Amino acid sequence: MLARFLITSSLSFLFLLLKSRPVKIFSLWTCACVSLFLGHHPPPSPARPPRVSLKEKMSPASEAGNAEESQEGVPSLLDLPELALECILEKLPPDGLLSMSGVCTALRDRCRSDYFWDKHMKQKWDRVIGPSAYKVWQLCLASRRDNGDSNQGKQKGFLRLFSLVWPCSWAGERINIGQDQTCSLPHDSSVMSWYIALETGTFWFPAQVYNRENGHAGFMLSCYDAELSYDFRTDTFRARYPPHGRRAIALETGVTWERLRSPPVDTSPHDLHLSDCLNDLCPGDHVEIQWRRNKEFPYGWWYGIVGHLESCDRNETYCRCPSSDSAVLEFNQYSAGSRWSRTIIDRRNHREEGNEVDGFYGGIRKLRTDDEISAWRQLWPTELLE
Amino acid sequence: MSSSSSSSLPPCPKKMITLKSSDGETFQIEETAALQSKTLENMIDENCASTPIPLRSINGKILAKVVEFCNKHAEVGVDAESLHAWDAEFVNVEYTTLFDYILAANFLEIPTLLDLASGVVGDMIKGKTPDEIRKMFNINDAFSPEEEEEVRRANQWAFE
Repeated sequence: MLARFLITSSLSFLFLLLKSRPVKIFSLWTCACVSLFLGHHPPPSPARPPRVSLKEKMSPASEAGNAEESQEGVPSLLDLPELALECILEKLPPDGLLSMSGVCTALRDRCRSDYFWDKHMKQKWDRVIGPSAYKVWQLCLASRRDNGDSNQGKQKGFLRLFSLVWPCSWAGERINIGQDQTCSLPHDSSVMSWYIALETGTFWFPAQVYNRENGHAGFMLSCYDAELSYDFRTDTFRARYPPHGRRAIALETGVTWERLRSPPVDTSPHDLHLSDCLNDLCPGDHVEIQWRRNKEFPYGWWYGIVGHLESCDRNETYCRCPSSDSAVLEFNQYSAGSRWSRTIIDRRNHREEGNEVDGFYGGIRKLRTDDEISAWRQLWPTELLE
Repeated sequence: MSSSSSSSLPPCPKKMITLKSSDGETFQIEETAALQSKTLENMIDENCASTPIPLRSINGKILAKVVEFCNKHAEVGVDAESLHAWDAEFVNVEYTTLFDYILAANFLEIPTLLDLASGVVGDMIKGKTPDEIRKMFNINDAFSPEEEEEVRRANQWAFE
């Protein structure tokens, strides 16, 4: 359902762009499968060219086309042995690889290799792109392929042109390979096209945003699902939050990298997360709990700490809180008197609890890494909330 | 430091090997410095380094520089910063010379030199358009006529 929404909304965005700035578009609707998996998936194994023997080392990387030497005495880069050329390409940043892919057929084929792009993909996108984003990308590819197969008419040629050629003036400062220069893009499932779809912001991917809507007080220390699109000009993201009941989609621009994360669990914001940590919760543990204003709204994740029960004197020796059927969650970003500052959950029979006034608390995740905890602590508000 | 132990041992004679360039020049290099080349290391291991080693693909001018590079990188007690500065100066040469360094480093399997020289070529590529790259590196085979046609048609459409 979410994926369907993402696809249709992404499509309409693409066509909006098409209408306004046709030169500045390239296809993200390429076909087949990207061999890139991140996070929980096995790493890709792009075929690195095998090491060559001593004899082969002296044979040029390309036999083609360098017969007509235009500059006397200047060797062609393509006359370098395969391994040496690879060594140069390995050192290029994404825009360098793109430029090189626009030079000639031999370089285009080499520069599109997943082997060179995987490193860039991991370096830049690994932290915010998770399996869910990859899934949506695959759906986009599949829908493009289906459209292509079923529609042999005008649209196919129209979209095909996009996928064949990247008008490079589009990408501006970052991915700019020169005025009026074109370099063709793969219309297959390369990591390169995946990278470019992300880099240029044409692909909206699912992720989660801390402190949505510019740290709006009503969302302080929460993390909500959204669709994100990168803006390379500002090195920030645009976020689209799904509608809350009748409230329209919320848009936010200028979302910084540190406010983004790939969803840590594969639970839809409309589903109750199955809590698997209820019996582990001890005072002092850091947790996230799902919460929603009412049952029509999607859940967000909220940061809290496990506290002591009222009956406990907080003496370590005598504290029986971990063995109690109830656990207290404290939200210390709120002042002590606030109705949002604490809630009690039933360890044995925990399900969605709440009411229309206080909202509904859902599933719980215990935070087990320092990285996750410090991501929350960095967002701590300067003043307590009411 | 360890002067007492080293002074009691007789000085070890430096083992030298001889390299012969494509144009017949010969160069002496200490074995320890030559070991940076995997190709030479293999020859030393197989006892093939007692006579001058012919390197038919490397001319005297380039081989002199490669020997200089290996000697510098085998020097003891050079701090990383000054070696870095020395390297930068070493590869501050024209593309044709860099090209020859890369060929030599590739043939002799000297990863440090291959990395250094190909890094400089990489830097030359950064920020350049495909056209500039073609000119700079003398690449004459662009796209096939069919691909050119596709590019042309797409551009035509794009600017309509």
